[in-house]
Amino acid sequence: MGKKSITLPSEKIEGLSETFPGRRVEASFGPRSVPWHLWCGIGAVFSGAFGLYWDVSWHMSIGRDSFWTPAHVAMQMCGVVAGLTCGYLILSHTFGRRPAPEARDASVRIWGFRGPLGAFICTWGSLAMLTGAPFDNWWHAAYGLDVKLKSPPHSLLIGGTFIIGLGVLVMVGAAMNRASGELKQKLTWLSLLVGGLMIAIILLISLEYKFRPMMHSALFYRTVSVVVPIVLITVSQPTGRRWACSIVIAVYTGLLLADVWIFPLFPAEPKLGPVFHKIDHFVPYEFPLLLIAPAAVLDLLSIKIRGWDKRLQAAVFGSAFFLTFLLVQWPFATFLMSPGARNRVFGAGYMGYSTHPDSYYARHLFLQLEQTGAHFWIRMLEALTGAILSSGLGLIGADLMRRIRR
Amino acid sequence: MRKLTQVVLLLILARPAAAHVGSPDIFFEGNAGPYRLFVTVRTPRVIPGVAGIEIRSQSAIREIRVAPLLLTGLGSENSPAPQVAERSADDPQFFACSVWLMQFGVFQLRIHAYGAQGEGQLVVPVPATVQGTLRMQNTLAFALTALMIFLSIGAVSVVGAFFRDGMLEPGADRRPVDLRRGRLAMLAAAISVVGILYLGNRWWNWDAEVTTSRIYRAPRLAANLESGEYMLLRATDPEWLQLVGRHPLIPDHGYLMHLFLVRFPEMDRFWHLHPRQIKPGVFLQGLPSMPSGLYKIFADVVHEDGFPETLLAEITLPGMQGSPLTGDDSEASARPVSRVSQISGVSELPDGGRVLWERDAAPLKPNVPGHFRFRVEGRDGKPVQDLEPYMGMAGHAEFLSWDGTVFAHVHPAGSVSMAALQIAEASLMPDMANLQPSPHRNHSLSAAALPPEVSFPYGFPRPGQYRIFVQMKRAGRIQTAVFDAQVK
Repeated sequence: MGKKSITLPSEKIEGLSETFPGRRVEASFGPRSVPWHLWCGIGAVFSGAFGLYWDVSWHMSIGRDSFWTPAHVAMQMCGVVAGLTCGYLILSHTFGRRPAPEARDASVRIWGFRGPLGAFICTWGSLAMLTGAPFDNWWHAAYGLDVKLKSPPHSLLIGGTFIIGLGVLVMVGAAMNRASGELKQKLTWLSLLVGGLMIAIILLISLEYKFRPMMHSALFYRTVSVVVPIVLITVSQPTGRRWACSIVIAVYTGLLLADVWIFPLFPAEPKLGPVFHKIDHFVPYEFPLLLIAPAAVLDLLSIKIRGWDKRLQAAVFGSAFFLTFLLVQWPFATFLMSPGARNRVFGAGYMGYSTHPDSYYARHLFLQLEQTGAHFWIRMLEALTGAILSSGLGLIGADLMRRIRR
Repeated sequence: MRKLTQVVLLLILARPAAAHVGSPDIFFEGNAGPYRLFVTVRTPRVIPGVAGIEIRSQSAIREIRVAPLLLTGLGSENSPAPQVAERSADDPQFFACSVWLMQFGVFQLRIHAYGAQGEGQLVVPVPATVQGTLRMQNTLAFALTALMIFLSIGAVSVVGAFFRDGMLEPGADRRPVDLRRGRLAMLAAAISVVGILYLGNRWWNWDAEVTTSRIYRAPRLAANLESGEYMLLRATDPEWLQLVGRHPLIPDHGYLMHLFLVRFPEMDRFWHLHPRQIKPGVFLQGLPSMPSGLYKIFADVVHEDGFPETLLAEITLPGMQGSPLTGDDSEASARPVSRVSQISGVSELPDGGRVLWERDAAPLKPNVPGHFRFRVEGRDGKPVQDLEPYMGMAGHAEFLSWDGTVFAHVHPAGSVSMAALQIAEASLMPDMANLQPSPHRNHSLSAAALPPEVSFPYGFPRPGQYRIFVQMKRAGRIQTAVFDAQVK
């Protein structure tokens, strides 16, 4: 696939002579173009993320359906494509007769197998999805309870999708760290793309704490503040791009906006009862969260506080994320509950066929999940702390991503 | 994991019950316009769950479609897209499909039949309750355990590789410090994996407990003898009393409660009584003359949302002289089950007549739906011409296992509650106005004389010995025939 090794004998990597005393290590830039397996991996993650939201829409519009719905197929394609691609990579690196030298050199070894580190992570994610499928099937037969997303087998399935995203991110990140010039720029964009898809996936895992009626509860802000900064910072910081966080969130926002604006164009009819709302088109999941605002603030801050102590950076990033998100999402949630948002742009008027007319959701009311004011503020404090810890972990993740080479 | 397995085993041993006791499947026969259909609904063990629908038509039908709606309230008006039932390759008059029941409560299955005589519609009320959980098959448990171990070890190994090799420049060799870092990372990963598995197991157990708490169990009644001649029945479950507050009981073919008293273990005395409710959840019944003994009580009620229940109780009574039976109350005596040596297809009636169970020689099998046909003959051996409706129907049959764990009160229309059926049919009226006339509402009969044969659609839920009480009204007197059945 056009792999070409460019060895620059004179170009020593900075600091490596100290790291590897007595050894001469040369920079190997590998292929000039994005390798095919990275495209496959990114396609798999996109298929998984899009499939997950499509499946949510399918359940809201048609209900539980056969295993072979297009949405299910899209989700499963994530595991299949990633698993086959990475399985091939591992086998070819291990047993291939003519593995490219730079490819073999840029691999890790696990249980006697060789391959890119990300390929092993992706394979693990695929196997997790494979395990999750029969487990989920049995779970439904044993306990029912399909009406909720949060269950051990669902976590394994969606978690597997997320881990595949992480594996692809590691593969892209390692290639990015080894590359230079135009290829590095391309890979930088691709890592931000994968990061945006991972944000979409991780926000779906916590979907049950993020429905619109919960947007004035502290639980909602705690959930978002814990799950988003770690991924956002891990992905964006190593790229060194000016608006990296904003680009990542733009990907997430674009994916959900596409859902909100495109899905209703297609006809759908519920197959299950009870039908509380007659619908004749697909009902999308909700308008994306306004994460673009805290992302932009993080981008602006990252220049200002570069070089600060990591703990201080985490405190600043976390606080900024939490406060900015609170400041924009709270009033935006109020707007989403108003009649002005019940249109095709904001999609607040869409109701799944099984949404009970007496529910908070159908009545466009906020649900008070915290019984007392004290409970609310304790959770808000937890949200702030969670955002800081999540940012700190994100900084550690970003440091690891910068150092990943294989 | 062992604890979880024990929980699951306990769950599957829990007695399933809904409208009846231990007999969750629904058998129904009725007319979809010009087409006579026998419908069997295999209710799911869990909710949401899949109900299996089996439909047999007596005449040629081109297509059958099935749609689930709630029986009452919101959700009873809009129909989802009906599912097309698949025609059997071996039997062109047999159709089957699956329908999801997505929530607790009472559904109505609207069955649309299409054929040469046009379209017909039939409605079947179906209560949806959790009956238990499933045990994981050994092969699946083994496969999942193996995969989980593989994933756990794999996760630790991948994390180790990340910190050992992942940050090395391509081609660089590992140094001792890399190996040490890798080992430390693997240790941390192993601890994390154990923690995740522990938390996952707790989560699993918690979800299993949630399901356990939702398993339907027949409500209990406390039965006491009052003033030596009255039986006071009091609901003891506070949740059930709350339910009665939300959904009061409604009459089912004329009465709020149909109470069956059966002397155990011999099942030699049987009463079908109708207590009156003196306040929600409290019933009073004047007792007739009865011999002493332990009596099991099966009390059928229906809530206003169409949810049928069988309440359970036991009472030990002394021999007593009570009031004569009046109205629709009835009684029967039978040979003690311990003295039944041969299953007979004939039951002698007190008036000298007899009832014949018309069945072939084939052994009775569990979970096989069929008609239980009984012909009434007079003292002269000829089919009688003087049968009358008994509480609006040609007959009532109670199927009771000898051990008392299965009880079903069945009518010629089937095992559904008549009150729930009336609600369902009422909701169908606007649709039926456009369809061909249907004798749908023939479950409640006029006082005209009935044919000498009565038939009940039903299927035994499991192997065992059963006693069947068949009740009809003849010339103003209620007659109860008693049969025994061996189901293998």
